Amino acid sequence: MTKNPKQEWEEAVNKTVQRFPERKETFTTSSDIEVDRLYLPEKEDEKYVEKLGFPGQYPYTRGIQPTMYRSRFWTMRQYAGFGSAKETNERFRYLLEQGQTGLSVAFDLPTQIGYDSDDPMSDGEVGKVGVAIDTLQDMEDLLEGIPLNQVSTSMTINAPASVLLCMYIAVGEKQGVAKESLTGTIQNDILKEYIARGTYIFPPKPSMRLITNIFKYCEQYVPKFNTISISGYHIREAGSTAVQEVAFTLANGMAYVDAALESGLEIDQFAPRLAFFFNAHNNFFEEIAKFRVARRLWAKIMREKYGAKNPKSWKLRFHTQTGGSTLTAQQPDNNIVRVTLQALSAVLGGTQSLHTNSRDEALALPTEESARIALRTQQIIAHESGVADTVDPIAGSYYVESLMDQMEEEVEKYLGKIEEFGGAVQAVEEGYMQREIHQAAYETQKKMENKEEIVVGLNQFEVDEELHPDLLKVDEKLERNQINSLKDVKAKRDQEIVNKTLTRLEKAAKNSNENLIPYILEAVKAYASVGEICNVLRNQFGEYVG
Amino acid sequence: MGKKIRALIAKPGLDGHDRGALIIAQTLRDHGMEVIYTGLRQSPAQIAQAAVQEDVDVIGLSSLSGAHRSLFPKVVEQLKERQAEDIPVIGGGVIPAEDIPFLEEKGVQKVFTPGTPTEYIAAYIKQLVTPEEVKETTPPEKISHIGIAVKSLEKTIPFYDQILGLNLKGVEEVPSEGVKVAFFEIGETSIELLEPLSEQSPIYKFVEKKGEGIHHIALEVSDLKDRLQHYRDQDVPLINEEPKEGANGAEIAFLHPRAANGVLYELCHHRKGES
Repeated sequence: MTKNPKQEWEEAVNKTVQRFPERKETFTTSSDIEVDRLYLPEKEDEKYVEKLGFPGQYPYTRGIQPTMYRSRFWTMRQYAGFGSAKETNERFRYLLEQGQTGLSVAFDLPTQIGYDSDDPMSDGEVGKVGVAIDTLQDMEDLLEGIPLNQVSTSMTINAPASVLLCMYIAVGEKQGVAKESLTGTIQNDILKEYIARGTYIFPPKPSMRLITNIFKYCEQYVPKFNTISISGYHIREAGSTAVQEVAFTLANGMAYVDAALESGLEIDQFAPRLAFFFNAHNNFFEEIAKFRVARRLWAKIMREKYGAKNPKSWKLRFHTQTGGSTLTAQQPDNNIVRVTLQALSAVLGGTQSLHTNSRDEALALPTEESARIALRTQQIIAHESGVADTVDPIAGSYYVESLMDQMEEEVEKYLGKIEEFGGAVQAVEEGYMQREIHQAAYETQKKMENKEEIVVGLNQFEVDEELHPDLLKVDEKLERNQINSLKDVKAKRDQEIVNKTLTRLEKAAKNSNENLIPYILEAVKAYASVGEICNVLRNQFGEYVG
Repeated sequence: MGKKIRALIAKPGLDGHDRGALIIAQTLRDHGMEVIYTGLRQSPAQIAQAAVQEDVDVIGLSSLSGAHRSLFPKVVEQLKERQAEDIPVIGGGVIPAEDIPFLEEKGVQKVFTPGTPTEYIAAYIKQLVTPEEVKETTPPEKISHIGIAVKSLEKTIPFYDQILGLNLKGVEEVPSEGVKVAFFEIGETSIELLEPLSEQSPIYKFVEKKGEGIHHIALEVSDLKDRLQHYRDQDVPLINEEPKEGANGAEIAFLHPRAANGVLYELCHHRKGES
């Protein structure tokens, strides 16, 4: 006779607790009432097991680990990066000292679109929204003194993800850290760039090839790295609804799975390294429902549609960031409260890692003080609120569970429509998702202007204020300095080796059966720049025009 | 109706955030304008070229990446190079307030920051491009008076009547405003001294915050109610949406200082027979 799900869960708990002991021996409330690990309905009938089940078990509605935050809190991972690699390195060390547990790198737009700092297209953008990386030298400066075998690093990089991943591997090698033990995530999600975020370079087909090349390479050599972070975040920021966020993200996820299968990988070879990235917006219960629905649906898709056997392939692991577009430039301190509620919804939704936005982000990049308050917000939720003391405390809410069923139905309708287009890639090319999102964004704007939706401090409860808070400014000299240091690197490197590696890359790019990653790694180690490498690929692949 | 307003909405630089640009484009279309959207990653030269080729009446730039200081002025320069500097350039996005004077100095006509209602932007463009079609606005008739906040009328009046030799027309309490006022005639206008009656009075707060001195300028109008309606339509920020009773039996309403770069304007209407 097979074990019942509850027994399975209990056994899993025992195993987990040996590896990751719970934070306390017993958890209690202020009134000394003991808090159980898990609360269950009176009867765990079939319907309960099918829809919710147990934490760490299919369909993972109640979370992907058996003990969730009783053992370990989510990773507090604040996205940071601005100006030069050296400045960003200082901010990283500061955040690590403040108790942050993972790094998250923001790159400037030229890096994200594969232009060097001295490219005319980069004019005015160098170091503005993130750190400028031209060559391996910059990456070495960025990670100076940070042991890559001890931190996990998330890099928000998409079109040139392969180049930045190779730089990370190369820095690891210089530190004596084998690539097999590197941990972290590259965003590497090109489809949402076409849909919502805009930092694409190449057309969809060669872009999908680069992505599957990374899947294959990492499966073999960098097995602990998350090779993609399939992102609903930017889709939501562009104005989608919660249902659209889940639907389009899962549809994109399926497109990557299809591409990887087509390239000859087996589902369980790469699926465990797929990660997700969602937004936490304002509607508190809908957001919690959204995270739980996404998990339940992905598990079903992976197991039933793709026949994945490894439970790790079924688990939707995700990072969350609070909703940037919900922040107001007016009365910016109110944003701390918005962020708190949004962060709480992510925690109640079972996120694996979390970035909380800073109060001043509608005005500029965050100052150090604002970034600290943002991190403190997470620490307060973790250490003071008690919400992390029992697994999935929201389960069984009549409202949330019923909302989830309705959202699931709507998501499935969208997935059906996208399938009619022939999948996400085709739907993107025909602009379907873009149109749906824009329509939703426009409606939201109108509702706000008609005051059907109240935004505190913006269309109601306004005060007269001068918006001159202390803002972070990126030094205008930075662009020139960055261009100069790129010049220095180019003067010092062995140009012959650079040319040779770039020629080899060009040749490999022509043959669609070649995996490009080893060639890119070679070029990166020769100090070829992001722009040089991307230009080789531009010449072969062409450029996408939005 | 004249010809349709043509607007170019453009994303200079590498920034990919186009939610705002797309919403503005659609709003302007809803207002009957023809809108050309450039798409992402346009250089200043490309934007100026498109504006000239498409013969647009206005260019709207959007940037959320912090590159506005460098890129917006370059669009203006590129227009000049093409002898098209008569096309006004307006901008929006994540732009710190302190950058706005710089951009305006560089020839950017107007900058809208996050939270600006789209209707306001549409109205602004209409006013900018076809001022003749926006409902005719008759200018105010004269400066009715200049309001000066003082701590004590008693201590201030001697300067005006003895040193300046002005004619004191009267002293009156206006409970609705929490003030006691003294009027001095000067030519066709007058000077109004305002003393707070209590700590709740706006004049008390003004003096506390900024000290004594010029408080507001009052403009005489003959169409107060209609004018307020008209200002409301254009989203001009108002303190009083409807006329109320002021000193001397006049109907008055204050505009919000936001409407006029920090200057507080009062509109007033004296019925015939009063002054």
